[in-house]
Amino acid sequence: MFNIIKQDFNSFFKTDKHIAPLAVLRMAFGGIMFICVIRFLLKGWVKAFYIAPKFHFTFYGFDWVKPMDAAGMYMLFAVLIAASILITIGLFYRTAAITFFLGFTYVELLDKTTYLNHYYLISIMAFLMIWVPANRYFSVDILLRPRLAVTHVPAWVINIFKLQLLLVYFFAGVSKLTYDWLIAAMPLKIWLPASSHLPIIGGLLTQLWVAYVFSWFGALFDLVIGFLLLIPKTRKPAYVLVVIFHVLTSWFFKIGMFPYIMILVTVIFFSEKTHLRIIGFVRRLLFISPDYQPQKTIYRSAASHLVFWILLVHFSLQLLLPFRYLLYPGKLYWTEEGYRFSWRVMLMEKGGTAFFYVKDPETGKRTEIINAQYLTDFQESQMATQPDMILQYAHFLAQQYEKKGIRNPIVIAESYVTLNGSGSRLYIDTTVNLANEQESFGHKKWIIPFNEKQK
Amino acid sequence: MYTKFVRPAIIALVAVAAFQACKKSGTTPSSGSTGFDRKGMLTNLSTNIIIPGYVSFQASAVSLDSSIAAFNASPDLTKLGSLQATFKTAYQKWQAVSTFDFGPAATENLRISLNTFPADVTQINSNVASGSYNLSSLSALPAEGLPAIDYLLFGTGADNNAILTQYITDSEAANRKAYLAAVSAFIKTKTTNVLNAWKTTYPATFIAAAGTDVGSSVGMLTNELNQDFEVIKNYEIGVPLGIQSMGTAFPTKVQAYYSKISLQLTLLHLQAIQNIYQGKSAQGDGLGFDDYLTEANAQYNGGSLNSAILVQFATATTKLQALSDPLALQITSNAAGVNAAYTALQMQTVLLKTDMPSALGILITYGDTDGD
Repeated sequence: MFNIIKQDFNSFFKTDKHIAPLAVLRMAFGGIMFICVIRFLLKGWVKAFYIAPKFHFTFYGFDWVKPMDAAGMYMLFAVLIAASILITIGLFYRTAAITFFLGFTYVELLDKTTYLNHYYLISIMAFLMIWVPANRYFSVDILLRPRLAVTHVPAWVINIFKLQLLLVYFFAGVSKLTYDWLIAAMPLKIWLPASSHLPIIGGLLTQLWVAYVFSWFGALFDLVIGFLLLIPKTRKPAYVLVVIFHVLTSWFFKIGMFPYIMILVTVIFFSEKTHLRIIGFVRRLLFISPDYQPQKTIYRSAASHLVFWILLVHFSLQLLLPFRYLLYPGKLYWTEEGYRFSWRVMLMEKGGTAFFYVKDPETGKRTEIINAQYLTDFQESQMATQPDMILQYAHFLAQQYEKKGIRNPIVIAESYVTLNGSGSRLYIDTTVNLANEQESFGHKKWIIPFNEKQK
Repeated sequence: MYTKFVRPAIIALVAVAAFQACKKSGTTPSSGSTGFDRKGMLTNLSTNIIIPGYVSFQASAVSLDSSIAAFNASPDLTKLGSLQATFKTAYQKWQAVSTFDFGPAATENLRISLNTFPADVTQINSNVASGSYNLSSLSALPAEGLPAIDYLLFGTGADNNAILTQYITDSEAANRKAYLAAVSAFIKTKTTNVLNAWKTTYPATFIAAAGTDVGSSVGMLTNELNQDFEVIKNYEIGVPLGIQSMGTAFPTKVQAYYSKISLQLTLLHLQAIQNIYQGKSAQGDGLGFDDYLTEANAQYNGGSLNSAILVQFATATTKLQALSDPLALQITSNAAGVNAAYTALQMQTVLLKTDMPSALGILITYGDTDGD
């Protein structure tokens, strides 16, 4: 028994594997990041999300992360573009990977309004890329310093990416095993008919049974696809499914680059033969002369113990974070306590309108806040349904009115939220002065529990 | 080795599934939309509501302009009276098209160009005095459009005799007439441009964009319906009442302060939005958001969302009808009554802005999503 585990351990971590999959991943990831960052710029989002807003919803514990001025932000995006190119071609690779990880993560930490699971995934992938020698094969770094070239790496170097992707899919699948998703076919029952104008399939999308088929197929897909990609026999059909699934989601939902990122990075699951063929293809594309077939050289990490512990901590967190919601009472989708960083994707149709009131305790007079005065439409709509953001905004308003000369202003949030077609209902206790409530990892008692029967 | 991974995984799965799926969330299962005819709704709205609305408003803008020309040529009390009546008609007709600030109207910035209130009297007077102004500039918004004419025709004197002297004997009479004509011409041009677009190419574009995302016609319409509803809630009622200013009321900030038809306009405005919602026009009750919500079986508080919205329209209308013009006076003498109307409008904001788009899967904000 022990021997078997040891064998598996060795085959997962230590066996020598060809480095080609890693080189392909480097090019795929760098390439798609290049497109992602440019797309972000072209959409005007740097300005809309990070320059225009007067107030930013920082993450708990990261209040010190502040946006730079316009020139600084655009400069940073230029750096991200450069880093993504350097990653792709494998030049100054490690510096580029670290720069990209830090730069991208910094941008994501600026404002949780824009939090998306796929941005989180990009940060993680970039983080993992730092620790692997993805530039030691078929890269400009090797062109410049051929003695760095290796042909083989310990298996963990490639397997950490497979493991990460498997966890993403698997947890996305687990999070779909709910009443809402499986029994009520929510929110697909709302979202699919909204795409009924699409040619050919449009008519189908309005059928109730289609919402159920998509829900169940989606859950099953997420749960098993990682495993099917691991098993050599099922790999090819599984990858065909990956492509079909993600292309479909990109048609139906406004989820940006995520489908394409997944289609590209899941190539890592294929064998070294496939990856050598891909590299051969790229070579011919770029008119690079055929490989000189270097001798088998094996990469040995310089600080393997450090890397081992870093990765151990990382994957332990990956396994635990999605379950932290169990520590909170109440319905997860409603309170969103423990919701982020758990691969909960496309599970909720949630909307809200929040009215904020500031009251002067001395005069008893109160005023309703025009949220548009301080927030962008995007920030306002995200804030209205997320308690931690409501609290942050309440604190911000308290500061604003302190500055206007009101001492200890009372801030009340009257927010109405609808979740997966439930119909809107009061979300936050309107008797609570949010100016006095503190952010913490604890449960927020002023969230009104989600009840089946409202009012 | 893979089977060793897979088997425990499947067992874990079943356990988790059993655990989670049993926890009923309380979401009311609705039967789902069975293929609402969005194109049909867009066709009904454009053919029977939007285009006739613009035809009618543009006609009244044209007659306002010619009334002003006639008045300017030889100002007298009769012409002033008839001009004032023409103006009121135009302001009433405007309420029916205020919502459609997308496409051609967005190109012309129609809503803010024609109806930014309160009018900036100081700027109007200095424009009149100097005789030089650029109505196309952003800073001129509060000095132009219908609110500016409201002031020029009703607010420049204590009564019509006094007003008339401003256009005959006053030292700035000629400049004032020129300004009146310029503001009116500006309204006429912009409105005509919008109408022409709706009479030619735009309806096809409008009906073809039958999706539900940002930039689709349903998306834009929903967004503007809400923006416009908030014009009623915030600017026609809330701001004058002092809701957003620590209770300090600003009665002069109501719409049509000088002609004193504020409440009448608000009621027309609210009715116009309800008509868009219901798809109701002179041609009858066609496809609208009400049918769309019914088709989607949208729920609210144990009943249908559509009936909740209709009830709230009725409540808001009743609360407003309990008031009387001039609204500015009601704000000081009957603040509780105005406040009741405000609260009714506020509740409707939630239904139109949160429940309706959410039940239909309509996107009105920008940025990518992953559904959270």
